[in-house]
Amino acid sequence: MSEPMADSPHVKPSGAVGPARSSSPAGLGASAGFLLPNLLLGIFWFTALVTLILISGFLAIGWIVVMGVTLGVLSLIRKPKWHMLIGGLTLMIAPVMWLCVSGAQIERRRVAKFLGYRVPSPYQQLAQRTVLASAHTRAGDPAVWRDLAYLLLLLPVGAAEFAFVIGAFALPLVTIVLPMWLFVAFPEGIPLGQGVQIDTPLEALLIAIIALPVLALVGYLLVIGMSKAHVTLDQALLWPSKRARLAQRVEELTESRSRAVEATIAERRRIERDLHDGAQQRLISLAMGLGMAKEKMVTDPETAQELVEEAHGEVKRTLAEIRNLVRGIHPAVLSDRGLDAAIPALAVRCPVPVEVGVELDERLPEAAETTSYFMVAEALTNIAKHSGASEAQVFVRREHKPQNRLVIEVVDNGKGGAEPEDGTGLAGLADRLAALDGRLFIESPPGGPTRVQAELPLGTLKTTTRGTL
Amino acid sequence: MRSALKSSAQASLRVVIAEDSGLLREGLERLLADAGLDVVAKVGDGPGLIAAAEQHRPDIAIVDVRMPPGYRDEGLKAAIESRRRVPNLCVLVLSQYVEERYGSELLESGAAGVGYLLKDRVADVPDFIAAVRDVASGGTVLDPEAVDQLLSRHRRDERLTALTRREWEVLSLMAEGRSNHAIAKGLFVTEGAVEKHVKNIFGKLGLAQSDADHRRVMAVLTYLRG
Repeated sequence: MSEPMADSPHVKPSGAVGPARSSSPAGLGASAGFLLPNLLLGIFWFTALVTLILISGFLAIGWIVVMGVTLGVLSLIRKPKWHMLIGGLTLMIAPVMWLCVSGAQIERRRVAKFLGYRVPSPYQQLAQRTVLASAHTRAGDPAVWRDLAYLLLLLPVGAAEFAFVIGAFALPLVTIVLPMWLFVAFPEGIPLGQGVQIDTPLEALLIAIIALPVLALVGYLLVIGMSKAHVTLDQALLWPSKRARLAQRVEELTESRSRAVEATIAERRRIERDLHDGAQQRLISLAMGLGMAKEKMVTDPETAQELVEEAHGEVKRTLAEIRNLVRGIHPAVLSDRGLDAAIPALAVRCPVPVEVGVELDERLPEAAETTSYFMVAEALTNIAKHSGASEAQVFVRREHKPQNRLVIEVVDNGKGGAEPEDGTGLAGLADRLAALDGRLFIESPPGGPTRVQAELPLGTLKTTTRGTL
Repeated sequence: MRSALKSSAQASLRVVIAEDSGLLREGLERLLADAGLDVVAKVGDGPGLIAAAEQHRPDIAIVDVRMPPGYRDEGLKAAIESRRRVPNLCVLVLSQYVEERYGSELLESGAAGVGYLLKDRVADVPDFIAAVRDVASGGTVLDPEAVDQLLSRHRRDERLTALTRREWEVLSLMAEGRSNHAIAKGLFVTEGAVEKHVKNIFGKLGLAQSDADHRRVMAVLTYLRG
């Protein structure tokens, strides 16, 4: 369900997860369509790259000789600038690097299109925009060199694949032609050993009929197997290396950690402000009113009674306010009864009618429950405030396959156009989810409907954080 | 025997208070004693409540949902357990938050002599004392906020949207556990008019009429929770 969403233009996934693959494996047509052109592509890339490498190589040798001599002579006069030598060399191999990256990107797109594997970009980020700096980064990036290896290997690999695929399709055809060809080559019949012999056209036809589906199956498995083998090659050379993946992961974790800390600070500030602007002010006015009532108790009992009545009303309003505030910090029913009690309670408080479906077989880790709860709370607040929707749905379900995770969907029929950047709390939601390796998808085309979906992996969360009863 | 006891003790109901905050415990005792009720025991946790209920067999136990050791729903659990051990024990549960789920769990232990109120309601002393007496005499009292939650869940229920505004008001008050007399007083209409509304509501919702107030509440709540 998430995969097609991720491809649609209005969806903004945040917090990427490593190489992902689509649900259905590539079929015969897609595999053959992917494998057959490999030979031609292999020839093209091999020729293009080797030509370019040779040209660059000769240029480089020329450059080294000329610059070496020049700098050597100049060094007699002043301090030599050897980095000019290196810089020039880098520029000379830049076209090779550029060709490698372009070729590999085309290959990645082909893999994604035919075999259904999305391959994330493995390259180091280009820090500066100057040609020299870019070329320098590219030359130092192992991913580029692995691209080069892949593109050069594509020639022999592509040739083998071409041969196997043609062979795989040809095998069944052979059995059709075989009976006719048989008696031309073997006029005496074909001995199968132990005195058994194929010597009539009927027998030959029979064998052909039996052999046809077997060979078709062998051919099919061969093509599928080849495409899988090719994916293994891709994984080794086109996908980000384990080291690069780890580096990216560390970067993501660092970022999500600091955002989680920021979110905590912002939350504290919000609570402080709510208490200060609300309850604290009310209590002060209450103390004032009661103080005045105390003064007037004897001299002006009538006014005193009025003041006490006012104070009574005020204290009840304060109680209600604090209750709402405290519930917003952490609802008791969530820790006591879990999501299937807490989410309906959220839904009934939403001014827009909300249909709720919670399918959970057991209580979840507290971090997952709390994050999901506040995700739904935020989404419903947005619906009530901004969407103009007349109805909404909240679905929460646990998935065990292919991944142990929680999926939360909030859908409304409002006017759409929700952006995480609008300050609607959606960005904060994405941060909270990212801290738990979760992802948030927002699909909100102008005109609606808006669909907010969160996925939260449960495999790594601890269940021990909840207190015991 | 029970009803005899009750009619003779109407003037001074025997109450057990289960509340962990000392401040509130003392406050409640003062408030109840002021209204002429007899506080026979004050406890601060669940096991204490069960023991006091078994020992004193009070007319009513007033119980805070949140109590030690976990400060979650120990009070609610102890109240349900006490009702299991002491049949016909009347219980009024007070909570900082009204959650429909808690109300439902409490009502599942029997609707007669059960109350579930927001703690804030203590502030309106006469109403609170009336609720205590109501529950102690076998009635059912549900906080308006809990009823709101139940009703808002049915905003789009066709049978409920068929109700008139007045019928809707009567239904809310009925779900809170009010008697016809109380509803009539609250809406400034005659009891006869209320009876007619109640009959219409039961007809529109397809519920069987019942004479006993707490059974009527139960029918309404079962419908709303369904």
